[in-house]
Amino acid sequence: MAFFEQEIHDAPKTFLSKYVFSFDHKVIGKQFLWYGIAFLGLGGMMAMMIRWTLAFPGEAFPIFGHFLFPATNGVVPPDTYAMLFTLHGTIMIFYAITPILIGAFGNFCIPLMIGARDMVFPTLNMLSFWLAVLSAVILVASLFTPLGGAAGGWVSYPTLSTLIGSPGVGQTLWCLAIFVLGVSSTMGAVNYIATIITLRAPGMGYFDMPLTVWGLWLTAVLNALFLPVLGAGVLLLVFDRVFGTTFFLAGAAATSGSGDPVLFQHVFWIFGHPEVYILILPAWGIVSDLLAFFARKPAFGAKATALSMTTITVLSTVVYGHHMYTTQMSPLLTQSFMMLTMTISIPSAIFFANWLGTLWKGSIRFQTPMLFALGVVFVFGLGGLTGLYLATVSTDLYLHDTYFVVGHFHYTMAASVLLGGFAATYFWFPKMFGRMLNETLGKVHFWISMLGLNGVFMGMMIVGYAGMHRRIYNPYVYEFLQKLIPINMFITYSAIFMGFGQLFFVYNFVYSIWKGPKASQNPWEVGTLEWTIPSPAPHYNFDVIPVVKCGPHEMGNPNLKGRDFQYQTEELA
Amino acid sequence: MNLYSLYMKFFVMNAHAAEMSLWDRMKPPLDISTNGHLIDSLFHLTTMLILFFFILVCLGLFGFSYLYRQSKHPVALYVHGTSKKHIAIVAAIGAMVFIMVDMKITGISNRDYMESFAKWPKEDKDVVRVQVLGQQWAWNFRYAGKDGIFNTEDDIVTLNDLRLPTGKKIVFQVTSKDVIHSFSLPNARIKVDAMPGRISKMWTELTTTGLYDIVCAQICGTFHYRMQAKLRVYTPEEFDKWQDQMGERTKYIMEKDSADLYWGWKWVTNN
Repeated sequence: MAFFEQEIHDAPKTFLSKYVFSFDHKVIGKQFLWYGIAFLGLGGMMAMMIRWTLAFPGEAFPIFGHFLFPATNGVVPPDTYAMLFTLHGTIMIFYAITPILIGAFGNFCIPLMIGARDMVFPTLNMLSFWLAVLSAVILVASLFTPLGGAAGGWVSYPTLSTLIGSPGVGQTLWCLAIFVLGVSSTMGAVNYIATIITLRAPGMGYFDMPLTVWGLWLTAVLNALFLPVLGAGVLLLVFDRVFGTTFFLAGAAATSGSGDPVLFQHVFWIFGHPEVYILILPAWGIVSDLLAFFARKPAFGAKATALSMTTITVLSTVVYGHHMYTTQMSPLLTQSFMMLTMTISIPSAIFFANWLGTLWKGSIRFQTPMLFALGVVFVFGLGGLTGLYLATVSTDLYLHDTYFVVGHFHYTMAASVLLGGFAATYFWFPKMFGRMLNETLGKVHFWISMLGLNGVFMGMMIVGYAGMHRRIYNPYVYEFLQKLIPINMFITYSAIFMGFGQLFFVYNFVYSIWKGPKASQNPWEVGTLEWTIPSPAPHYNFDVIPVVKCGPHEMGNPNLKGRDFQYQTEELA
Repeated sequence: MNLYSLYMKFFVMNAHAAEMSLWDRMKPPLDISTNGHLIDSLFHLTTMLILFFFILVCLGLFGFSYLYRQSKHPVALYVHGTSKKHIAIVAAIGAMVFIMVDMKITGISNRDYMESFAKWPKEDKDVVRVQVLGQQWAWNFRYAGKDGIFNTEDDIVTLNDLRLPTGKKIVFQVTSKDVIHSFSLPNARIKVDAMPGRISKMWTELTTTGLYDIVCAQICGTFHYRMQAKLRVYTPEEFDKWQDQMGERTKYIMEKDSADLYWGWKWVTNN
């Protein structure tokens, strides 16, 4: 269905054109993967410092403490603590998860899975990555400004994020970094949408696309629509900070006409709620596919799953008000937002039922990617259901801004997305690097991550329900929180356990790139288009553009002889 | 010896810590308001409903994983889940979640919100009115004083020290001097944002005397965690006595020097 011929140029020869300024979607995908993993490590270290402070207030951070905070004998100081949780959020969302799931697997998987030779706009693709690098440079540079990096929380509500609360240039640089990253992601999103619409292989209808592509596509739509909104918001914030406008200033600080700090919250959350789905949709798609691949049967109700994801995409744009119940919007609005938020549980329930339907009477192989995919079902079940408390106006009055919220959104955005990202890494690693990851190390990594993250995030929900609020440096100045010290210590031990568990992954990943056993063309025995070509995927992927004749999950068909799967290029048996 | 006390002994390294049970540690702070139980009971109802569905998910997840592992069930069933029966089952699950959980919770929450939390009490004589001003990093409180009018000489002004009676409806008007704060009474289960340029309101009625914590729930800068005020709940007689004492104090010229006293606004009575 391609609208135009996909030309083949010669493979790049020099190091620069091959590995650095590459137009190749596979190389750009790998670049995003390294970028994301590096920031995942940085954001993870920040999380450790946050956790250490909460469990052992006033004690020096081990090993690095004396080097990083010499003025306080290794103890994380309160202003640094505020910077840490701000940048932990920013980095994990925009610089780790987005690049890994959308940047890396979006770039890598979309052309391969729809049978295209590359993205439709390769130059835009390259530009998207290098703008992301520029954004990262700005963000990291903000840490070395005189008053330190941004410290107003990742939501950076004015007026705390204006000159009233954050006079340092670090906050301005943070805004600029987010703006540049927004431009980069929008470029990527436009590219993904156009590629999926124009470059699907002949014969591939929208419902013949793997659900991974569906997830990435819907994500790209949300990205293209809502990142510009965030960009506009932070740009106005920069105006307030640099040019003396008063979009978000009110009260005594608004010397030349009054704006409204709550306006920023509207702008932020109309982006911010879809952002949650921007992060989780690719993971849903990947999980929907992997469950079918490893249960060796077609994805149960694949069309319904795709349509549910689309419904959620639409609904996600009209529920953002549930982040702002405590700003005292009119009861009419709180009721509408509560009702709309609740309706999201219908499509969610439908694809959960479909996931379990996929497992039903399958022939399940518990290889590492499958373990991670099953892990996503578990943690997203918990994360999604606990959202009900927060969507409800009256329980939110108590739970808003407590650790319950932190636990909830880490279950959905951190645990599910991270496990989904690992599932994808273990699954597509052979096609990316032509080698296999070690299964045993992978399984050890899974169980440590799974136990660790449940300890961390379940613990957070517990301390949140007990009343511990967010973003406090030392909870124990409050008498009613002192009983939570042992639970907070448990969360921190779990976090350390989980952190060390990631070393299994890092070792496995780095070792296997060079020394892992060579991967066959189709190690998982599945039929989507990327497995019809050699591993690693060759220059321009497909010699001949494939013609698609059946759906992506045709497995377990009793008419098949000798194998239980068929390629999408084969006539339905 | 159970896991919990082992953990307390070897990881928390405090033998006495195990004397408080895990259950007690997980409990929210004491509810001292007439409306707080609405939130607690809705929380528990939601928990039950969630547990029901999460157990269903786990049964499917672990049950199918066990029953249909490859070694035991080598040939998968070739279904696409597109038959009428399958679609009906899936749709029924969706509808069940919506009717059993969403409608139920939304209904209760709407009722509680409209009939309690957002139903502003008539401001007659029996209502205690307090103005709250958040600032980096403290809470200022202002009572109207004897004349019942705000912004007059006899206002009672305190810093981080809120005193309230039991058995009377209390209405707060909340704003902020600098950045956004959130005025939160964990013991009454409610909070409202304090925003510069806006006056938000909140009401409660307390039942139990004692000393409690007031929290700033919204990040407001480096010493956000220190933005702590105390709530002293008196019986109505004790409260009147305290107000009289404070009223006497406002007559001394000496204390009028403090610039911290001069804030406040005309009470907004449009409710």
